Amino acid sequence: MPSDLDNQIAQLLRCEPISEAQVKQLCLKAREILIEEGNVQVVDAPVTLCGDIHGQFWDMMELFKLGGFCPDTNYLFMGDFVDRGYYSVETFLLLLAYKVRYPDRITLIRGNHESRQITQVYGFYDECQRKYGSANVWRYCCEVFDYLALAAIVDGRVFCVHGGLSPNLSAIDQIRVIDRKQEVPHDGPMCDLLWSDPDDIQGWGLSPRGAGFLFGGDITKSFAHNNAIDLIARAHQLAMEGFKLMFDQSLVTVWSAPNYCYRCGNVASILELDEHLGQEYKVFRHAPSDVRSVPAKRPPAEYFL
Amino acid sequence: MDINNTDDIAPIAILMDELKAEDVQLRLNAVHRMNTIALALGPERTREELVPFLHESVEDEDEVLLAIGDELGKGFEEYVGGPKYAHVLLGPLEVLSAVEETLVRDKATESITKVAECLSQQQVEMYYIPLLTRLSRGEWFTSRTSAAALYAPVYAKASPQIKEEMRKGFAVLASDDTPMVRRAAAKSLGKFAETLAKEHILSDALPVYRKLASDDQDSVRLLTVEDLIAIAKKLEPTEVKDQLLAQIRQSASDKSWRVRFMIANHFVPLAEVVGEYIVKEEMVNAFVQLLKDNEAEVRTAGAGQIPGFAKLIDRDTILAKLVPCVRDLAHDTSQHVRASLANHISGLAPLLGKDLTVEHLLPLFLHLLKDDFPDVRLNIIGKLELVNTVIGIERLSQTLLPAIVELAEDKSWRVREAIIDYIPLLAKQLGRPFVDENLRNLCIAWLGDNVYSIRHAAAVNLKKLIEVFGVEWSRNNIVPQVLAMRSHPNYSFRMTTVMTISTIAPSLDLETISGPVLEVLTALITDPIPNIRFNVAKSLEDLATTYGTTPAGKTVASERIVPALQGLLNDTDADVRYYAGRALESTLRTINA
Repeated sequence: MPSDLDNQIAQLLRCEPISEAQVKQLCLKAREILIEEGNVQVVDAPVTLCGDIHGQFWDMMELFKLGGFCPDTNYLFMGDFVDRGYYSVETFLLLLAYKVRYPDRITLIRGNHESRQITQVYGFYDECQRKYGSANVWRYCCEVFDYLALAAIVDGRVFCVHGGLSPNLSAIDQIRVIDRKQEVPHDGPMCDLLWSDPDDIQGWGLSPRGAGFLFGGDITKSFAHNNAIDLIARAHQLAMEGFKLMFDQSLVTVWSAPNYCYRCGNVASILELDEHLGQEYKVFRHAPSDVRSVPAKRPPAEYFL
Repeated sequence: MDINNTDDIAPIAILMDELKAEDVQLRLNAVHRMNTIALALGPERTREELVPFLHESVEDEDEVLLAIGDELGKGFEEYVGGPKYAHVLLGPLEVLSAVEETLVRDKATESITKVAECLSQQQVEMYYIPLLTRLSRGEWFTSRTSAAALYAPVYAKASPQIKEEMRKGFAVLASDDTPMVRRAAAKSLGKFAETLAKEHILSDALPVYRKLASDDQDSVRLLTVEDLIAIAKKLEPTEVKDQLLAQIRQSASDKSWRVRFMIANHFVPLAEVVGEYIVKEEMVNAFVQLLKDNEAEVRTAGAGQIPGFAKLIDRDTILAKLVPCVRDLAHDTSQHVRASLANHISGLAPLLGKDLTVEHLLPLFLHLLKDDFPDVRLNIIGKLELVNTVIGIERLSQTLLPAIVELAEDKSWRVREAIIDYIPLLAKQLGRPFVDENLRNLCIAWLGDNVYSIRHAAAVNLKKLIEVFGVEWSRNNIVPQVLAMRSHPNYSFRMTTVMTISTIAPSLDLETISGPVLEVLTALITDPIPNIRFNVAKSLEDLATTYGTTPAGKTVASERIVPALQGLLNDTDADVRYYAGRALESTLRTINA
């Protein structure tokens, strides 16, 4: 079994999708592991925090070339693995295969795109259809999405979440009691964690996204104070310089999709937390075209012709 | 006989069934198995049943037609009774060379060309020439475009009278109404001209070439550049001057940049065939014009021809005419032009010799090394060896080393990586004292780079350096520095120590391994970070399997490595336990072997 999985990881690292049967097995194994994790997964430093990837597989390879490969480097991916890029399937399956092979070395938490509704609009569903000829792989992956943790906390000091805070949650312990094994709801604390954004306002504001809230520096600081944390790390919003510190460095947005949607021209970053929780932001650019265009995509499935 | 017959009928029946199958894949498989079936049928029935059957299958999918065209060109004549029956294959191929899909037609003409090789003069005249005439006069342009490529293969085999008709026939195609056919003629003219006698080059090929070279469509004109080279190759320099000079001038200054691009891209082969006089009088200036062209694509192609063309002219002309252009190109606004120049400029060094290279080229190298575009910098670095052989390593290092050291800290990690890849080569040429003085610290510093790929490349580089300068050298100059990072407060430096040990271990010796290296690794076994601990396990595994084959090595492995790994078997971390278990297993396997 381990050698099978190692082969699948090697195959996915070449950006070649694994078979539908292998995906099914992998997703089953992943659920067994994820169900044991808390809503707020406890993570030890050192660990490298990553923001949105959005199916930009070759740019994720740049990320690994910069930060080191799993398992030598510990990773925490803060959601939005899929949609928009060309390789959501390979991207998510590689991360999932790593998770199953090295559960203690990589942590995946849920982003707002890890949802049935969103993936049907922004590309992951179509990509599964195109690459496998049916929606089965999409369905297996969506079942895994429901088991992903909602947040993580590194050494009790750095709180990691995809979107942000919720007016219904003042303590991290309140997150631990949410029943997370469901499709992302349209409102409520679970929705807010995946959808909210920080903003230069006082208190709470309405989000232009139509889900989650805007939260100000005062909210952030009191949340940090009440929960004895130093930093809130989140993703969810494009940062042209790769990361953006706010509210006297009490919150950071980490963005890991360089040249987002292959046209935004932004750089990306990862945040390395060393064993003493020292922070180092490492910026990277998108993969050069000769690396990116390695022809590794299989032709579309036969039944689709 | 009857019994044999039923046996023989089966294969063709299966093939025909499969060729009629609904599934394209089945039909394709059947086509690819055609030779097996032909072998079973024997030559006579292949000629009389299989070939006519193929003849009728031309309504199929393009994919199947492509496969049929391909199979018939793969020495299929041996299945129809050898070369004397090869002409029967022309039937289906003729039909295929008239279909709409270009890929199928091209494959069919390719196969016809192959079949033509084994035809006798008689077969050519009886079967091939009529086919050629039919295709050339075909109503639809597709067959006429295919025809153009079919003149050259058999011209040499035809009688004088037929040869004359063929030359006329080709001329007709070259003045066809449709540009597609004229393009096909332009594409094939060069090959056809190669088979013509000198007198017919002058009487037939030249007028056809002139007509195509002044076609209204630039897509036709650009294809005549290769014809020009083929024709010039057959002529004496004086004839080239009389007959082609006007065309050369015209193409080099064509109003369409695509034509000028083709000239620029083929400049060296062209210059090689036009003779010394024209090169000197005409080509130098034409080349300078192309290097100053308005279109970046033309300049890029021209830059690629610089060293090749420079070989054909004398040093004074290079200095007077080319070097000023090269200087301009080094400051070109297009990064692609600069990248192409950077890739080829070092080719001028051997032609200019030491002093002139130092005077004229070195400043440009330095300038290009500082280019904003990484590809430009990379291309220069990749070709430095050529310059080294001309001006000597001492000179090169004096002038270029500061720039290289600067690039070693380049913002783009891929540039740093390229420099690292170049270090072992540089080290070999510069020698140990120089490396110790100028490069060693740099090599060690790369181990602390903030990009993982660079740290990895740095470790590989150290291994190569040890291979060049020997393990004795590494004992004082590399190993202590690598091991020093073991107590760095940041785990990633400690990780680099472990990773580098694994990488360089095969190039060290047992004395070093059993001394300082193992001391450090066994100390790191109690590191608080699990990632370090399981990499120590992996590293111990590498040491044991590399050195555990000799008696002395076995002792070290069983006395020091095995107990260390056994200690890790009860680690709190699952990955540490896994890698320790795996390492212990292969260590024991090695020492017990």
